[in-house]
Amino acid sequence: MNLERATSSPWRSAGQGLRESLSLVVGYAPIAFSFGVIAVQSGLTLWQAVGISLLVFAGASQFVMVAMMAAGSGGLTVLSAVLMMNLRHVFYGPALATRLVALPRRLAPWLAFGLTDEVFATAMAKGASRPLEPAWCLGLASGAYLAWVGGTALGASVGAGWANDRGYVAQALDFVLPALFLALLAQAWRCARWPVVAVAASVTLLGMVWWPGHVAMLLGMLAGATVGSRRPRAGCSQEAMT
Amino acid sequence: MTWWGIVVAAGVGTFLIRYLPLLSGTRLARGEGWLSRFLGALGLAAIAALIALSMSDLWWQAPHWRGGVRLALGAAAVLLVQRLTPNVGLATLVGAGVYGAAGWALAD
Repeated sequence: MNLERATSSPWRSAGQGLRESLSLVVGYAPIAFSFGVIAVQSGLTLWQAVGISLLVFAGASQFVMVAMMAAGSGGLTVLSAVLMMNLRHVFYGPALATRLVALPRRLAPWLAFGLTDEVFATAMAKGASRPLEPAWCLGLASGAYLAWVGGTALGASVGAGWANDRGYVAQALDFVLPALFLALLAQAWRCARWPVVAVAASVTLLGMVWWPGHVAMLLGMLAGATVGSRRPRAGCSQEAMT
Repeated sequence: MTWWGIVVAAGVGTFLIRYLPLLSGTRLARGEGWLSRFLGALGLAAIAALIALSMSDLWWQAPHWRGGVRLALGAAAVLLVQRLTPNVGLATLVGAGVYGAAGWALAD
């Protein structure tokens, strides 16, 4: 590990992270494209749509933001809805920090800016097998950010005519994010951690009966992590703490 | 509040929600107690919650046995490819391809 760290420069790590963001790029581009289309259809200009993706970079809450603005909701109402939806990200930074080899202060703002659900999930899956270089995380987030902003620009500029196309390719793209999360779960899987997965998924599904998806997800995450925080039994301690 | 004011405030607010805990997290990460174990389990819990959320969204788009078979085939393809090659990108693409192809094969 020391040898690997000694021989890999930050630029090399960032490049590797950028390459490994390919699956995120494939998942993000169609969703960002849809966001661009919907933003323009809601009356925004190309630059307003791209501006939201450039400044906010938070998938689902951007859709809600545009819908509320188009419906004429007040500024504070829109703002509080966006921030409430993104509140689950409060837990991502400390969890990511447990997997980083170090956190240089000058990189922290950039790492935090790119900490979306998908970037966090990908980094934590990778971090289950080895400590993460901050530059690798930056490369990963950069790929996701470029795909998100680029997809928005493309959707806002040329996408209106494609908006109603629901062919099999479009349907296949719907499955990209669930497929990515499944692959990440398989990568990060540790047998001793099955209760974490079972509880998080069950509480999320159950929560969706009563609450919106982002609230159910937050509850599922917290319930799963609470189960995972129990002191591991001696027989599986090493695996459980990975 | 102007239109751009709302967007900038949403961007700054979202950034602070991610940034401030990351800074405090470096101290928390050094611990060995309950909180450290909680944070260590959070990544896997988030992935599981995201799977439940995204799969259930897809299911409710077309709640029919065909939709269930498509989801099962897509998921099986992802897990099979991930098992054979430790390549997340390839597993993702093959899974999406199988899901799309299953939609075509199972169409009325």
